[in-house]
Amino acid sequence: MNALLPLWSFWVRTSRQWPVLQTLAPFVPVVLLWQAVASWGPFPPAFFPAPMDVVRSFGTLMYKGILPEYLGDSVARLAAGVAVGVALGIPLGLLIGLNRRAYDTLWPVVLFFQAIGDIAWLPILIIWFGFGLTTMAFVIVYTVIFPVIFNTVLGVRSVKIELHRAAQSLGAPPWRILTEVVLPGALPNIVTGLRNGLGYGWRALIAAEMIVGTSGIGFMMFDARRAGSVTEIVLGMIVLGILWYIVDAWVLAPIERATGRRWGLTQ
Amino acid sequence: MATRRLLDATIFVAPLLFLVVVWAIVVPVFQVNPQIFPSVPAVVQAGINSIIDGTLFLHVGASMGRVILGTVLAVLVAVPLGILMGISKGVSDFLTPLLRFFSVLAGIAWIPIATLWFGYGFGAIVFVIFNGVFFIVVYNTLLGVSTIPMSLRNAAASLGAGRWALFTEVLLPGALPNIATGIRTGLGFAWRGLIAAEMIATNVGLGYMLFVARDFYQTEVIVFGMIVIGVLWLLIDRLVLAPFERATIERWGLVR
Repeated sequence: MNALLPLWSFWVRTSRQWPVLQTLAPFVPVVLLWQAVASWGPFPPAFFPAPMDVVRSFGTLMYKGILPEYLGDSVARLAAGVAVGVALGIPLGLLIGLNRRAYDTLWPVVLFFQAIGDIAWLPILIIWFGFGLTTMAFVIVYTVIFPVIFNTVLGVRSVKIELHRAAQSLGAPPWRILTEVVLPGALPNIVTGLRNGLGYGWRALIAAEMIVGTSGIGFMMFDARRAGSVTEIVLGMIVLGILWYIVDAWVLAPIERATGRRWGLTQ
Repeated sequence: MATRRLLDATIFVAPLLFLVVVWAIVVPVFQVNPQIFPSVPAVVQAGINSIIDGTLFLHVGASMGRVILGTVLAVLVAVPLGILMGISKGVSDFLTPLLRFFSVLAGIAWIPIATLWFGYGFGAIVFVIFNGVFFIVVYNTLLGVSTIPMSLRNAAASLGAGRWALFTEVLLPGALPNIATGIRTGLGFAWRGLIAAEMIATNVGLGYMLFVARDFYQTEVIVFGMIVIGVLWLLIDRLVLAPFERATIERWGLVR
């Protein structure tokens, strides 16, 4: 027991210094367990690859340049789709949130089209645009735009009417009310919308790449499925998970923290 | 009250009806190729046909059966597991990164490996739905349990509550709002996963219905199927998930 104590205190000290370790540590037993199950061998390796196989296939695909290229394709598509979705979604959300008539006419339409779901559009999009980039772009923009609209409307409506009136009576023109009262007030919700939109857009991208794709991580996984190569599927899943971690930690979390802190929403 | 609700419903439906009217006018006036976009009567006809020959019920039944089975299984396993993990702070802190990693993968990313493990068909799709719901519900349950103030648990324990009573009367109710949110989010992902999986990996279901119609350029079937998917999801979300979520949140006084 006592022999373990210095080890434990060493762990506490280092993990305090590098919080990343705390995130990574839980994966160590999982990988070990995975290795144990794979080498114990109740499943044939064609169904259940060992961790080393996956690492090796990572090495090969990196060396051949397939993985970086596909990864780049996926990320570029997602980024472009999200940019367009946000650029369209926020103004639409502001319009619906601010204008009573726009709300009455557009809200049911938004609800309905949101319910249809991105992936259900794929068949007809394939007929319209063929297998390719346009189809994928449409699907991603479609997925991203609704959560952004939803949350923008929610945010705009959560801004108290007194604040509008106060700004107005202090002589602010409509434009300044929009940029200095409504938009900042709605920003935390808009960021939530962005997070949800990314979450959905990301899954839509994977599905679209599987079904219509000619490149990208989703395509790589589905192509591996066709060839029956389970290591590449697992590799694809791990890459997707890590990629999301990076997006979450480097892009979303800082934005959320910034808006939340600025507007005093952190607890 | 009744007329008020009727009026609200009419106001709500009016824009959608307006869209249908525009659609009904535009297609014949511009003579849109039916292989590009169908006319209103064609879609209605496709709907009637699929009801008469029973294929609609076959596809909807298959899809709903998969969703219900996958979700029920996932919730049954996820909630007790989430509560057990959430009891101890050390365990829940340790497992959080893992659960987040897997809930990110939830749904569609599992399709290739699911079809490899279970073959094309029922098993693979239920597995995808199970996955979509399971990890998100576990994660949310764990979060819910960890937000229950320690003093409540101590109070119940010092009043003589056993493990089981603590579980059913403190931890489960306390985590219920989060569990409801988890189910709603998870099902949202799982529903999309279902449609995608059905396009890829089966020969019955709504996704399959759309994807096969694409092969024959039957746009009227596709549009009809899209409407069915939209209406079904609205019904699930409004009639089952939203009331459940509201009920749990209202009961525990979280409404502002």
